[in-house]
Amino acid sequence: MLELYHSEPNTFFLKPLIALHEKQADFQSRWFDADQLEQFGLGLDGEVEAHLNLEREGPLLRHDGTLISSSFFMLEYIAEALPGVRLLPKSAHDLYRAHASGQFLGAHLGSLVPILGCVKYTVPRLQRDRARVDDCLKKVEPQERRLNWLSLLDGTYTPEILATARERLKFPVSRVEATLNSGPWLAGPEYSIADIDAFAMLRVLPDLAPDVVNESATPRILDFIARIEARAAVRAALATSRSGKPQQHFVPGVEPSRWG
Amino acid sequence: MTVRLYHWEPNANSGKPMLALAEKGVDFESHYIDLLKFDQHQPDYLKINPDGTIPAMVHGDHVLTESTPMMEYADDAFDGPPLKPADPKERWRMRWWMRFFDSYFAPSASMIGWSIFVGPAVRQRPKEELEAAIARIPLESRRIAWRKAMFNQFSEAELAESKRRVIFCLGILEQHLTRHEWIAGRTYSLGDMNGFNLGYAMPLAQPDYCNDAKTPRIMEWLRRIYERPAAKKIWALGRTAMAQRVKFLERAAHA
Repeated sequence: MLELYHSEPNTFFLKPLIALHEKQADFQSRWFDADQLEQFGLGLDGEVEAHLNLEREGPLLRHDGTLISSSFFMLEYIAEALPGVRLLPKSAHDLYRAHASGQFLGAHLGSLVPILGCVKYTVPRLQRDRARVDDCLKKVEPQERRLNWLSLLDGTYTPEILATARERLKFPVSRVEATLNSGPWLAGPEYSIADIDAFAMLRVLPDLAPDVVNESATPRILDFIARIEARAAVRAALATSRSGKPQQHFVPGVEPSRWG
Repeated sequence: MTVRLYHWEPNANSGKPMLALAEKGVDFESHYIDLLKFDQHQPDYLKINPDGTIPAMVHGDHVLTESTPMMEYADDAFDGPPLKPADPKERWRMRWWMRFFDSYFAPSASMIGWSIFVGPAVRQRPKEELEAAIARIPLESRRIAWRKAMFNQFSEAELAESKRRVIFCLGILEQHLTRHEWIAGRTYSLGDMNGFNLGYAMPLAQPDYCNDAKTPRIMEWLRRIYERPAAKKIWALGRTAMAQRVKFLERAAHA
């Protein structure tokens, strides 16, 4: 049995939904409301990998009893374990490019995009019911996961820090733009999990960081987003939204580097 | 086709592709880049990797600069024994743990290591020389890291949090190895090679928290890896006392 536990189809949650639809996989959607912090009441018993969840918040895939976490590795798992279209580059070097892209963008976009999205959209919703949120977060372990939420609510992300976050986006965004300048996809001649992974994080940046991602500065990225949005599997994944505005739903992401 | 590998000591990121290539049975042309002399920021090396990070692997027309994906490439591109499990669930677990080592365990362990080893090793040089060295570093994130290490800018709170995390990581790794023979499960894999590079000196770096009494599974896991011919071969390439710490894992040393 294949079950995907997910919230609104955006960022981390969007990735496996696209891959599963690309594979035309027979799976059960287990939707939860991340704004209501329902993920902390799912009662899923997994090993340490699911409990720690390196991205802190995100989808969980349960396949025949095993819980799979971490969105990029989940994409690799879906590509490798399920029948259907390949979704993996063919050559060893293109596979390397996919792995390297997942690692690089996971660290950069995986931390920066959720901060900008949460501050703009999620935090105002959570503040309306702050007492309940605080009560729920008290019980959350590991502490990094709890602190990730609390830092959003306690004013850690000042306008200066958010400006720095937008400035730091230029580095990964420029690398993606340069890669797309030399070919249509991020890891070789064919659409792959690297593209799904990047698309799910880039898609919201024209809204969150219009100074960084726009027609003039990043035409290749905008074309890339449009080409992927046109795919039937992506439309099907986005159609799982219950709010009708999945691009306004965020959860905290990867911890920013502790080295500064 | 020759594989050229630009690396420092068999330790942390440099050691990862070194060990993976050795396990695969691939000979490589070794180019030693001295991290403490900032060889990685010199013009000759920047022609190979403009980011100025090590390691870098050159194979034909391809230049690879990310150490963990480089390990997967070593397995995918060359003939030899498979270094990844055949079972997709074990392969996923291998990758999860490699990310755990790279993004959670290693930054904390290396913050401690840089504060007591790398920083003092370079700090005796004139401040102007160090500032010039920082100015040559291409990536902002690496400039920040080197500045912190060179000028001892780690706060007590940062170091305390790093130590807390290292102890936490040792605990969950010990727990994991009580349930699984190897990182991925039943199969020795890239995950073990990655973890060994991070953990081989942990019994010396954190003797109160990583030892035969408190973490017997970790100790046995490290010893089993070090007994492999590939690990012996690679750690013999070390030039400094840092790599020599691996000898602590020889069983005869404690018989």
